[in-house]
Amino acid sequence: MSDTVQKLLRPNGFVDLAWPPVAAFIAIVILWEGLIAVFEIPVYILPSPASIWLAITTNPGPLFGHAGITLYEAVAGFIIGSLMGAVLGTVFAYSKIIARGLLPYVIAANTIPVVAVAPIIIIWFGHGIGSKIAVTAFLSFFPLALNMMKGLQSYDRTIMDVFHIAAANGPQRFFKMRLPSALPYVFVGLKLNVTFSVIGAIVAEFVQADKGLGFVIMTSYRTLAMPRLWAAMLMSALIGIAFFALIALLERIFVPWHASAQDNR
Amino acid sequence: MAEPQRVPPPAPEAFVSIAGLSLTYGAPGQVLVNALQDIDIAIDKGQFVSLIGPSGCGKSTLLRIIGDLLSPSTGKVLIGGSEPREARLDREIGFVFQDSALLEWRRIRENIALPLELRGTPKAERERKAEELIQLVGLDGFQKAWPRQLSGGMRQRAAIARALSTNPRILLLDEPFGALDQITRDRLNMELARIHEVTGVTVVLVTHSIREAVLLSDRIVVLTPRPGRISRFIDVDLPRPRGLEVRNDERFDDLVRLGNRELEKGYM
Repeated sequence: MSDTVQKLLRPNGFVDLAWPPVAAFIAIVILWEGLIAVFEIPVYILPSPASIWLAITTNPGPLFGHAGITLYEAVAGFIIGSLMGAVLGTVFAYSKIIARGLLPYVIAANTIPVVAVAPIIIIWFGHGIGSKIAVTAFLSFFPLALNMMKGLQSYDRTIMDVFHIAAANGPQRFFKMRLPSALPYVFVGLKLNVTFSVIGAIVAEFVQADKGLGFVIMTSYRTLAMPRLWAAMLMSALIGIAFFALIALLERIFVPWHASAQDNR
Repeated sequence: MAEPQRVPPPAPEAFVSIAGLSLTYGAPGQVLVNALQDIDIAIDKGQFVSLIGPSGCGKSTLLRIIGDLLSPSTGKVLIGGSEPREARLDREIGFVFQDSALLEWRRIRENIALPLELRGTPKAERERKAEELIQLVGLDGFQKAWPRQLSGGMRQRAAIARALSTNPRILLLDEPFGALDQITRDRLNMELARIHEVTGVTVVLVTHSIREAVLLSDRIVVLTPRPGRISRFIDVDLPRPRGLEVRNDERFDDLVRLGNRELEKGYM
């Protein structure tokens, strides 16, 4: 027990790393609250931290329900889009001719603003959660496809020779050489997708939805319920942060050998 | 002092025989490049042979042909009576590259056991063999280290251990110590000499250091600049086992001078 406490307290322990951002957070909240009191800023311009907190805590059920819907859309779209991206990236890495044929269109499609395609996808996939997942999957698709391809092509040629000398077969080359050397790239793609998937879910809800944080933001905007809007915005940020932390944790577990998963102290 | 002499073409009973080998690069319609020409070498079982020559002479190319990483245009290589491809599929070839080419995502022990894993050797047997090799190359204590935690010299030790994991009959080394500092290089040369002595494996070493070649080899094959042909065989008659102090020997200097003279001939 005291061991754990000591671990938390020592230099570069949790407390040492966490106190500056915590202190900054407290300072900002106090300053924010104070400025609003001193300058009498109206609530529709900038709600006070206290009013946002009240918007979350009075009747929290519906708000957390909406957050849960958005989280579900983001995660489901992330998984589907990432899986499809991984498969296409693998095909590209193995077939030069397919890559040369399709890559320009994949890159072109990647530049389409998501707000422009969201209405089309919603027409195709209907008004339910499915279409929000599809928009999210669309956004999560490209980063992983491109990073997977790059990653699978990034193996070391001398290591290829080592596998040749050891008479490795095709699956062994893929699973024991190319895939492991692609993992750092895969996690670059996944981390991009985390951010994109929350954006995708909320943008899709802006276009058409009757639940989710995007819906809450739009309805709060129309009624100028600013504390509620800010509450929804903060929750969407929290979803993104938690999701990102989860992927970073997975990276530490699956790529412990790579520099990016290790402490840069 | 016996002057080393030219050696006749390979006897059929040699363990490794390279006969009439040449390699020409270039697609049809392009300029053809003669990389290797009329190479005949015989290597006895357990012999330590070095290939030396100016850069671009094709010595690494020749080594890659022996290891079935390349195919010759003409001629034949036999390793214990088998073609390089068969020998490779039987896991009778160990290959060490200038770059250690360790898999960064595997700990040192799992890197050394990789060829056994690819062959399908059971885990317990793999671990036993890896442990034995870790002791042999002097990496005890680093079984669970990641490659990136090791120095260049230690990485090459691991690469040598990996190449030996399948008990190959021939160990091919392509300038394995070229990127190391002199002190580390000396130490690894001694390690390699000891490993050769302990295991009795046949060794072919590509190097551009004539001193390294004299220190380690039974025989040195000097190649000419492109196209690589055999300029001369130098038999190294220094007694074994050799320590670094053999370099203070007059005979050592004679052989180095002989080798240098032979290499310089190529530039005249």
